[in-house]
Amino acid sequence: MSVDSKVQTPLHYFHGVFGRPGIESDSSKLFNTDVECGLVIKEAPLSAHLNVRGDAGDAGFCKAVADVLGVALPTDPGLCNHNDSISIYWLGPSEWCVIALGGDAAELEAALRAKLSGHVSIVDISGGQTLINLRGHGVETVLKKSTVCDFEALPMAKPGQRGVTQSTFAKASAVISNRCDGSYDLIIRRSFADYIAQWLLDAGAEFGCRIER
Amino acid sequence: MSTAVTQKNRTGSGSCTDASAPIQFTFNGKSYQGVVGDTLASALLANGVDVVGRSFKYARPRGIVGHGAEEPNGIIQLGSGAATVPNLKATQVELYPGLEASSVNGWPNVDFDLMGLIGAFGRLMPPGFYYKTFMYPKKLWMTYEHFIRQAAGLGATPVENDPDSYDKLNQHCDVLVVGAGPAGLVAAREAARTGARVIIADEQAQFGGSLLASKQTIDGLAATDWVTAMVAELEAFDNVQLLPRSTAFGYYDHNFMAILERRSDHLGLTAAQGTRQRLHRVRARQVVLAAGAFERPLVFAQNDIPGVMAATSVTTYINRYGVVPGTKLVICTTNDSAYQTAIDWHQAGREVVAVVDTRSVLDGDLVAAAKALGINVIAGHGVIEAQGGKRVKRALIAPLNDDGSAVTGSARRLDCDLIATSGGWSPAIHLSSHTGAKPIWDEQIVGFRPGASKQQERSAGACRGTYSLAGCLAEGASAGAEAAKLAGCGDGNMHFPLPTCEEYAQQPQQALFLVPHTKSASRAPSQFVDFQLDVTAGGVELAVREGFESVEHVKRYTALGFGTDQGKLGNINGMAILANALGQSIAETGTTIFRPSYTPTTFGALAGRDVNQLFDPERYTAVHRWHSDQGAKFEDVGQWKRPWYFPQAGESMHDAVNRECLAVRNSVGILDASTLGKIDIQGPDAAEFITRMYTNSYLKLAPGKCRYGVMLKEDGMIFDDGVCACLGENHYLMFTTTGGAAGVLSWLELWQQTEWPALQVYFTSVTDHWTTATVTGPNARKVIAKVCNDIDLSNEAFPFMDWRDGTVAGIKARVFRISFTGELSYEVNVPAHYGRQVWEQLIAAGEEFGITPYGTETMHVLRAEKGFIIVGQDTDGSMTPGDMNMDWVLGKNKAFSYIGKRSLDRSDTVRENRKQLVGLKTLEPADVLPEGAQIVFDPKQQIPMSMQGHVTSSYYSACLGHSIALAVVKGGLERMGQKVYCPLADGRMIAAEIVSSVFYDPKGERHHVG
Amino acid sequence: MLLIHCPHCREMREEEEFSYSGEAHITRPLQPELLTDEEWGDYLFFRTNSKGIHHEMWFHAVGCRRYFNVTRDTLSYEILESYLIGTQPTITGATS
Repeated sequence: MSVDSKVQTPLHYFHGVFGRPGIESDSSKLFNTDVECGLVIKEAPLSAHLNVRGDAGDAGFCKAVADVLGVALPTDPGLCNHNDSISIYWLGPSEWCVIALGGDAAELEAALRAKLSGHVSIVDISGGQTLINLRGHGVETVLKKSTVCDFEALPMAKPGQRGVTQSTFAKASAVISNRCDGSYDLIIRRSFADYIAQWLLDAGAEFGCRIER
Repeated sequence: MSTAVTQKNRTGSGSCTDASAPIQFTFNGKSYQGVVGDTLASALLANGVDVVGRSFKYARPRGIVGHGAEEPNGIIQLGSGAATVPNLKATQVELYPGLEASSVNGWPNVDFDLMGLIGAFGRLMPPGFYYKTFMYPKKLWMTYEHFIRQAAGLGATPVENDPDSYDKLNQHCDVLVVGAGPAGLVAAREAARTGARVIIADEQAQFGGSLLASKQTIDGLAATDWVTAMVAELEAFDNVQLLPRSTAFGYYDHNFMAILERRSDHLGLTAAQGTRQRLHRVRARQVVLAAGAFERPLVFAQNDIPGVMAATSVTTYINRYGVVPGTKLVICTTNDSAYQTAIDWHQAGREVVAVVDTRSVLDGDLVAAAKALGINVIAGHGVIEAQGGKRVKRALIAPLNDDGSAVTGSARRLDCDLIATSGGWSPAIHLSSHTGAKPIWDEQIVGFRPGASKQQERSAGACRGTYSLAGCLAEGASAGAEAAKLAGCGDGNMHFPLPTCEEYAQQPQQALFLVPHTKSASRAPSQFVDFQLDVTAGGVELAVREGFESVEHVKRYTALGFGTDQGKLGNINGMAILANALGQSIAETGTTIFRPSYTPTTFGALAGRDVNQLFDPERYTAVHRWHSDQGAKFEDVGQWKRPWYFPQAGESMHDAVNRECLAVRNSVGILDASTLGKIDIQGPDAAEFITRMYTNSYLKLAPGKCRYGVMLKEDGMIFDDGVCACLGENHYLMFTTTGGAAGVLSWLELWQQTEWPALQVYFTSVTDHWTTATVTGPNARKVIAKVCNDIDLSNEAFPFMDWRDGTVAGIKARVFRISFTGELSYEVNVPAHYGRQVWEQLIAAGEEFGITPYGTETMHVLRAEKGFIIVGQDTDGSMTPGDMNMDWVLGKNKAFSYIGKRSLDRSDTVRENRKQLVGLKTLEPADVLPEGAQIVFDPKQQIPMSMQGHVTSSYYSACLGHSIALAVVKGGLERMGQKVYCPLADGRMIAAEIVSSVFYDPKGERHHVG
Repeated sequence: MLLIHCPHCREMREEEEFSYSGEAHITRPLQPELLTDEEWGDYLFFRTNSKGIHHEMWFHAVGCRRYFNVTRDTLSYEILESYLIGTQPTITGATS
């Protein structure tokens, strides 16, 4: 048995859990399709998550990041640039979150360090957070129940670029990003993942909801 | 089952009711029938129920007066048991099948009220009665208050958990329209068509406001049909949210409006599914207030007898509900609008005895229309007194002088069973007032209108004092377009043609509030101003005679406006009477300030889903489920759930902790230390920065090395502590306390961003990234050796306070040799997604050594045996390193004056006799001192004794065989060997000896063990 | 519930996302050891407690994790401007 088969992403214990009115979790076949489920929460597989810090005003830094990742570094607030596998989320004027779906954090960090110089910081936070996608007709209501931010005012998602914001999520916090298909991505911290999963199952219960991997 | 009483006052369907669809309900235990669309109030009136409650102070019988949020009398308790709701207004409770309600006041019942006997002595209970009578002796006030509250009745709170669910939505919009009457509807439409995000909320079940009871036409449509068309038009916009049954109850800073939506209250006592109520937390760029107005009743003698109502409410019951609440009507008015009530009553086929108008010359259109129907109009007169017991039997009317201030002739009687009054209108300025806008008295409208806006809002229609329908429509449309423009949508111009409607010529109203009696206010039968709290005109005047002048003081002295109706009907009359008594104008007197909430709001809605398991986030480590599978008891540390101890079958906490402690001291234990805060620090100036933050220096800390540090606030007091490791060139990892993690990170950011931006350093939280398993005890090395073969674990190659990269249980790991137990320790860090598997491998590897998982309690005991402090337990924000006997942690030769250093030389921090950390050993080894116990030097001293310190940590040490305690004692370090005493609340006095705070292995040999 | 403009996120954001961080423009003395106890005490403990215009620091705690300055009217709670650390306010009250 390979080591990776024992990897536990933060929502490991919630895969396959359902929420519906009056029942906190239910593993029956109800709400097994998107038609029946107004909220589907899908956790991404273990991926490379890097926190990258550097000077957005340094063209060399921006170019080096773009060269290594193949995605332009978003320097304007509220933007996430991405391709099929790599997303770069703007977190602050000198801070980004890079997520490479299914990627290897150590390799990615080494590749960046090889190209970057000067005052930069690259930190592997792959174990500390997880990426989840929320889809279904109940998504907007569930987000309104959960966050004080005006997610409808995010920059419009278009191919290669999405909007991103960080705000409260229930009594925790989350990075919130829109997608072209009308669904939303959340990045949440591992230690709050159980709480947020319970919160989402509760908030989505009125629409029928499930968590999948 | 008793047969339903016939609805003797039901004339048919109203605009909102269906007379062919009966609904059964019970009130005060009797069964009645109402119809679909009724409120409880309209159904009770349909059934001729006159008395719906008793007043608060005098327990006088009271009937329904109004038809909405202003209702002071019809205060009821809905249902019983867990879901019961106290203090609802019958006028706002929508009828549903099986509804059960009862009066909140009145014992044993509303028709025969023992407390009503007190009413007979009403003159003995002037304003301030409670203050004057019950305040002495002071200690009995609680007893008095209990009796008064029970006797008066304020409704019963449920004693069981609320079975319902409530939630909240955070909303953002461009234009929020409050009120869906004529002004609100057109405002919303104008805003909506610009593409603005619009929310329109209305308190009532149906949109339309006053139009629901109106017989006017708009654009050639009956008013109610026009409303239906408008609602359909608004629903067609996908940028508009319509919120019926939604009360905007609080207007807060920066255009934040709290709106309570009642989602299921009209269907039953509890929600069959979904949420009962939803709190909308709306942040609006612009707000249009179109909240309407309340009709002001006239104050006259015995105006509280059931059967005295607001004229517009009578119109509403007739037109909207198909209920005519009486047979013979007398109207008393100061203005034209009440003539519509006379016309509606007449057209319903019942007798209008007279319209008594306080004005002497009458020429408005509605007056003419009434006269044309043959209605008897008596000018220059007022109703000066109502007579009757539990229902009005007659009105006493008398001629008045021109300004209505005095009776000029003899009174005569008019037999009737309903007196409808109108003293004009009071704009609903509540929400505007919440913003701090100061209401302005307007002589033209004889009312307060909203003051200058303090926020991005404007009022339109009746809540601004505009009472004509055409005026409301014009103002609403204009306000909607303007609000949208200011929110960045549209050009501010109205797009839709103004709806057309007929206009009536009206003559000015008379400013009259208290209809004079032949006797003075103090001698006439009670003239009620505030029905719910029994405040009378005489009471207000008495307050003035007793020296109260400020409206706010009179309000508190008389309790005017303090009821659940918040004085929506009575306040203006009260202020006018006050102004008159003070001999000044109403403008000079001013009004009291309206504050949120506009109407009472359920606590459940304010709590939302933040209840039970979702009340506060529970943070879990990656190993959490292993702990719970092992039966761990958990302790809250901040929001984290940490294993407290792992009891085995039959073990008490004491047993378990003793076992865990001995296992660590004698063999090996394992602790989940993942909750410790961890901050990754990178940058050329990282070492310099860290050195400024800690009391000791990190400038020469080499890669592979760790150092313990204490952080101070600038006042010199200990704020956090932990180990900091050098990971590589310009790269460090800082550990913080579990509870201090977030605070330390923002503290670092604060200094870097605001004070030393030139220092190049970045901070990133990695707390959640790592799972930390602490393997500790004399056999720790043997356990690690079984799962790690790429680190030389020898003491020489990997000494205490070093760290190494390696592979543990097949996973890349970072291992620290740091110790909080005083034993040989390895802290194994792996990315959290591997945390559970590595943990289980360590357990398996340790099996042959009896590896014992232990929790925070054992951790506390072990560290206390070593005299290691816990920040926040042994320190409390007033302790310096010196107080903790930790001067060794202060860097003596640091070039930079690190945070807090200067304060260590302040006169207060260097003074003698500060409390200092010492150990305490009880003379009786089995006695465990309570944490927090106060310490005295002289056990025989009289109370109050001189307190010399307190116990900060205290445990039984299984390893040492006696109790141990840490304490802070004044001058404690100079008092080694002396006896101190802890007087306990239970009368015991425990004696202890001051000893070193290090109880175990004082030379620190064990954690260095080779 | 304030609505605060974060100059880094360049947006109006809800107060829940921020934490208050005290009066702005208080500079740490460069050589604390040269100060008397009284002077150091002034730096540590004494604040202006303005009625009206007040300059204060806010931290966008669950947002971009940046500190910035705000000019706020302590009477009306109106926020008049927000500006970067290290820059000066454009709106100042009468010195009192």
